[in-house]
Amino acid sequence: MNARLNAYLDGEETRDDLPPELRAEADAWDALARDLRDDDPGGAPPWMETAVMAEIAREAARPRREGLLSWLLRPRPIQVSPLTGLLAAAALAAVVFVVRTPPAGPEGQVATVAAPAGATEILVEFTLEAPGARSVAVSGDFNDWGDDVVLEDVDGDGVWTGRVPLRPGVHKYMFVIDGERWVTDPKADRYEDDGFGNRNAVLAVAPPSSI
Amino acid sequence: MHTHGEPSDGAVVRAVLAGDSEQYRLLVRRYQDVLYRHAYRMVGRADDAADLTQRALVNGFRKLDRCRDPEKVGGWLFRIVANLCKDFLKSPRRQDVSVEATGADVIDAASPDDDLERAEVRRTVREALARLSPEQREAFVLKHVEGRSYEEMTELLGASKSALKMRVMRAREELQNLLKVYR
Repeated sequence: MNARLNAYLDGEETRDDLPPELRAEADAWDALARDLRDDDPGGAPPWMETAVMAEIAREAARPRREGLLSWLLRPRPIQVSPLTGLLAAAALAAVVFVVRTPPAGPEGQVATVAAPAGATEILVEFTLEAPGARSVAVSGDFNDWGDDVVLEDVDGDGVWTGRVPLRPGVHKYMFVIDGERWVTDPKADRYEDDGFGNRNAVLAVAPPSSI
Repeated sequence: MHTHGEPSDGAVVRAVLAGDSEQYRLLVRRYQDVLYRHAYRMVGRADDAADLTQRALVNGFRKLDRCRDPEKVGGWLFRIVANLCKDFLKSPRRQDVSVEATGADVIDAASPDDDLERAEVRRTVREALARLSPEQREAFVLKHVEGRSYEEMTELLGASKSALKMRVMRAREELQNLLKVYR
């Protein structure tokens, strides 16, 4: 496409700036865009507001237990501690808490997230910046290195997130982009060779007694 | 986007996150039309556009705690519907029927007073538009049909201005080639 015509269509040149031989083409593009604009579907259907709010109300009216779970699933600040005492036994109840994967800490220290008192599992939020990816999954020893734990980029900003329930212990994981590219978490605090030339990220979930 | 006296988007988001889900209705009212128009222009069918808009608004409610800037929740909701539209266009089932369905839809959309020639031109353009990649189609629709600036598009899509200009240019070139083929 002619560069000047392109500049006109980008609003960087006026029609009068164009050489006469390009003006007819510019007019044709304007007519095409106008025609598409004129095909205005109007606003959303009148039932949209009612339908959306009804679906939301159904969610809000779910049993109280789910409301509590939803409260519990809200991300909370995490604590980082040395590995010491990580695998100590603890009496745990069936409660789940959420933490985000921890921020970078001192070099060589294993990132540790703490299971709150009474928790058997802790929901860890994994995050990877992967602009342009079509899909991102997290794969680790906790899902037998499968690709079934899929992260989401709900607002299209290239930051993919997903939550995985993990039991206390040391976990190794990697991300899988577009179902084929294995990527090490760049924000992990500690890594371990996987024996195949790559590095797994290492994350520790500590039982409550170790914090 | 709110009128004088109404709570700001940020205030509404905070109220919803604090448990007053009924407040979400205000966001639905403010943004349902712009989301629906975009969806319609991306997928070409009113019923699919309505379905995608509804899903975007419900998903937005479910994941509202992930909206980083509550004052810009409108743009955040727009990104949700834009992503749903692209996923929809990429789905194998959709690809089987897209061009045929879009063409039929355009004829239905033409008013009885439209002359046949204009309806035919419109149908041809819409068919060509449906053959663009979802990303190119999105860029073209935002720029030329919705009339957005590159700065707005950058904010909505998170891509750089130069990348978006390139995408729009490629869309124009592709459209130009397709329309030559149709002539």
